[in-house]
Amino acid sequence: MKAPSWFAGPIGGALVVALLAAFVVPGMAGDYGIEFATTLVLWIALVQSWVILSGYTGYVSLGHAAFVGAGAYVFILTWGAVPFWFGLVAAGFTSGLLALIVGGPCLRVRGPYFVILTLGVAEFVKYAVINIEASLGKFGRLMIGTPEPVDIYRMAVGLAAIAFVMALVARYSRFGVGLRAIRENEVAAEMTGIRVRWLKVGAFGLSALVPGVVGALMICRTGYFEPLQMFSPQLSLTIITMCVAGGSDNPWGPLIGALFLNILSELLWDSAPELYTVILGVVLVFVVLRMPEGIYGTAVKRLARRSRKAVPGETTP
Amino acid sequence: MIAQLVFVGLTTGAIYALIAVSLNLIYGTMRLLNIGHGDMAMVGAYISFWLFTLADVPPYVSFLIAPAVSGLFGLLLYRGMFAGLLRRVQGDAVEGSSLLVFFGISMVVQNSASLLFSGTPRAYRYFDGIVEFGGIAVTESRLVALAVAVVAIGAVLAFLKFSIWGLGVRALIQNRAASAIVGINVDFAFTFASVVGFALAGLAGAVISMYQAVTPFMGGPYTTVGFVVIILGGLGNINGAIIGGLVVGLLETAGIALTGPNFRDLLIYGVFIAVLMLRPQGLFGRKGAH
Repeated sequence: MKAPSWFAGPIGGALVVALLAAFVVPGMAGDYGIEFATTLVLWIALVQSWVILSGYTGYVSLGHAAFVGAGAYVFILTWGAVPFWFGLVAAGFTSGLLALIVGGPCLRVRGPYFVILTLGVAEFVKYAVINIEASLGKFGRLMIGTPEPVDIYRMAVGLAAIAFVMALVARYSRFGVGLRAIRENEVAAEMTGIRVRWLKVGAFGLSALVPGVVGALMICRTGYFEPLQMFSPQLSLTIITMCVAGGSDNPWGPLIGALFLNILSELLWDSAPELYTVILGVVLVFVVLRMPEGIYGTAVKRLARRSRKAVPGETTP
Repeated sequence: MIAQLVFVGLTTGAIYALIAVSLNLIYGTMRLLNIGHGDMAMVGAYISFWLFTLADVPPYVSFLIAPAVSGLFGLLLYRGMFAGLLRRVQGDAVEGSSLLVFFGISMVVQNSASLLFSGTPRAYRYFDGIVEFGGIAVTESRLVALAVAVVAIGAVLAFLKFSIWGLGVRALIQNRAASAIVGINVDFAFTFASVVGFALAGLAGAVISMYQAVTPFMGGPYTTVGFVVIILGGLGNINGAIIGGLVVGLLETAGIALTGPNFRDLLIYGVFIAVLMLRPQGLFGRKGAH
């Protein structure tokens, strides 16, 4: 097994960046900076978790909001009854379990059917939670005694680092080769002995762990749980936009996409939130039509072409 | 009581059918998943609202203007974006890319409307008298909606069935490669589907604006219902979309009457998930035919 040594560099790098981000940034940035950094880091965690299924296998899921919402819901239900860390872990595993349960039947359909089905399942879960809450007479729940913003930020950094490493290992391991074989040609992959069903459902389950914890951290930030907001389909669509803008064949593209769109959002959100969304739409259309491999994929290709040209007398006489 | 419910269900269903037929026309021919379809209806609704409020143009005139504008929008989108996309990518990639492109367009259209007109719900009163017949009481606007939907769907069906171009479009829906080989003008059929598909969405919006408040984000639920209906009827199956629309309209009305409005969405998505998991080819589709 040579693979682990290959991982060592990026994983070590991620660890160093995470430690720096967790302990140096809060000292430098004010309250505003920490809020921005927390938002950014939570988005990074979400996009990294999304690529594990949807980036590598090509099964584009619009269901991520369901996992964020389910995690948040479990967290608020157990709030105060169990230790904080236990609640976070429970949130992650509940979402993972939900993905394993719905993944089996959902992943039997492909292409547009899968996209629409995941949207339908996410909306179904949303309205189920809304109806449960309404029948309990609850319209939103408040949390008292949530952690300090800096602590939430540090947890978010840790979570994003975990999500990045998961996406990295999933990409370059045997598991990832299988996933990408499914994207290229599912029937051929099955013929060569790849256990397509297990891989797909496994990837779906893995990709749902992190969003569950993200959901828990999100309600810690606001101190409030409201199903319409936590299960918003807009959330899933924004994740897709970030991944597509960056390029979703590896962990780096979504990282760049999340950075790009978060900075854009920060510049515009205050003055013109609608304009931000309009620009988001234009970016999405442009990237899909003009740079289908995303910012990262296109940049890598350009660089490769340039370095080939730079070597004299190698390809062209 | 039952007759009343059935009638309300049919009027709701007729508008769903109109939206689903146009959505299916676009999907069936070009394999484009238009998740901005409801937003075209929103544009039609705003056109109707502003024409009535600012220029006293009655809605039945907007029933011609709104589709003309949204149809033109469809033409421009096809010529400017999708003609190129359809030449470059093929197979499953078309559906994935088109979904993202339409999502982008939908964001642009929704938020431009929100920038221009603010998020305030707007409504006007027209055809709001109540008509009674055979123990059924219904507002005029609902009757007009039913009539417009029937006429528009009828016109599309007649075109597809009786004209040579319609035959070409139907052949294209069945098999794109083969229809290109036998000399069907694929570009014409695509243009037709874009223009008519978008125009019908705009028409549906103009009709809806008579009895529902107009907001920049009113389109989303119609897009979702549109997809529920065409999955029920089978992707690309025009007749299936009509029956599917009526089924969903009736189900929704019955569901609300029996359990209350809270369960409406749960019911719709429940049916939707069940159909996709049990019969992904649609209620009327044959296995393996897609």
